[in-house]
Amino acid sequence: MSLLDKFSVQRGLAASLAENSRVAPIATPMDDVHSATSATINGRRVILAGTNNYLGLTYDADCRAAAIAAIESLGTGTTGSRMASGNYAGHRALEHSLASAFGWPAAIVFSTGYQANLGTLSALAGEGDTLLVDADSHASIHDGCRLSHATTIRFRHNDPENLDRRLERLGEAASRTLVVVESLYSTLGDRAPLREIVEIKKRHGAWLLVDEAHSFGVFGPRGLGLCEDQDLLGEVDFIVGTFSKSLGGVGGFCLGRHAEVEFMRMVSRPYIFTASPPPPVIAATHQALRKVLQGHDLRARLSRHAERVYGELNKLGFRLGTTTPGPVAAVVFDSRDDALALWQSLLDAGIYTNLMIPPATPSGLSLVRISLSAAQSDEDIAQIIAALAAHARRARPPLAA
Amino acid sequence: MSETTASVESTIREALGVIRPDAMGIRGDADLAQEADLDSAEVMDLVMEIEDRLDLSIPVETMAQARTIDELCAGIVQLKHGTP
Repeated sequence: MSLLDKFSVQRGLAASLAENSRVAPIATPMDDVHSATSATINGRRVILAGTNNYLGLTYDADCRAAAIAAIESLGTGTTGSRMASGNYAGHRALEHSLASAFGWPAAIVFSTGYQANLGTLSALAGEGDTLLVDADSHASIHDGCRLSHATTIRFRHNDPENLDRRLERLGEAASRTLVVVESLYSTLGDRAPLREIVEIKKRHGAWLLVDEAHSFGVFGPRGLGLCEDQDLLGEVDFIVGTFSKSLGGVGGFCLGRHAEVEFMRMVSRPYIFTASPPPPVIAATHQALRKVLQGHDLRARLSRHAERVYGELNKLGFRLGTTTPGPVAAVVFDSRDDALALWQSLLDAGIYTNLMIPPATPSGLSLVRISLSAAQSDEDIAQIIAALAAHARRARPPLAA
Repeated sequence: MSETTASVESTIREALGVIRPDAMGIRGDADLAQEADLDSAEVMDLVMEIEDRLDLSIPVETMAQARTIDELCAGIVQLKHGTP
């Protein structure tokens, strides 16, 4: 077997996907993007319902102005790590604002969301420590575990009883164990039973990190996420989040109730050995954070869209990844072809969504992920629902579960 | 084959039966990914099934190198005996 033979599986998958669809369903080429909710794909204008632009802030006038002003005054990039020449006032100010919003002593900004998990987990846990992670966690969490050299154990997805049993087995080592969960899982749109997980980690004397990548900006009175929403900020130890979803930029952050978070900078390799985020990204993100903290109207609008889409999907008999309406609606299928058929049918109707297939999905499921945005209009939502209904009519009886 | 090895192996086969019923009887030295057609997520599901049955937590690192039932079995037996 030679070096490149390992790609034969991917070659086959790419060929079969290309055969069955006119436009690539994975890494779909965007000809042009016009707004938070509109793009051109394959020469045709579509509604974007497959992004993570939950609040629609990528085109916010104030965020754009802040980015432009930062480019004019500070240039396009920092060309250096935060440990060298990339430690600008704007980066420090954003960290201060994040920490203040949570009322916590320290926040660290990373250059991407992926690096935020890599950098946080590998700094917090090391040899002799244990990371106890939800099995359906994002790749960045699993990769962060590998980089940490800590003992990594997975527990069954959203299963507090399974977590409890594993902590029980660890005994006294629980005090050196960090439990890692996401608050909202982006593939199926389901939520972690945070209150039960908090109770269990407290009982065993373990620590808890919650990744709020898909819930920051979306939930909670000030948009700080599901921990804020459930009044658990006094119980959770660390929160990781991203700038590339509700905040509309790129980058990530880690915050902690513990002052030691500040020292992670000195040991976190994904923080140290990379350039700091460009000034326009920091400026736009800081502006977006202000919008999030006062974003009640955006959240109310997003929540209304979610209720409406979930309600209609249920009526149409589609199988969903979760019953609780949220910014992600995953239409689930056992067969890849059925998922691809819905994805293609929605695209034909002028709606871009995400096709997700194994092994990137849990339990071997294939799914079409519809993501909602406060920037979508009521008419956009009506068009999405009409396209789903048209597909359901054509595809019956298989869909009538 | 010691009693522990035999019982661990039979537990692994039971667990495999949940994920891939037709692969329960594959050879002990057969590559699970290729011959039982398990992708990376399914290997993780298999490990979870084994953990539930043995009431044991298996670190990801322990299993990372295991490609076959025999290798999985050896890793778990070592873990049960508390050796690194």
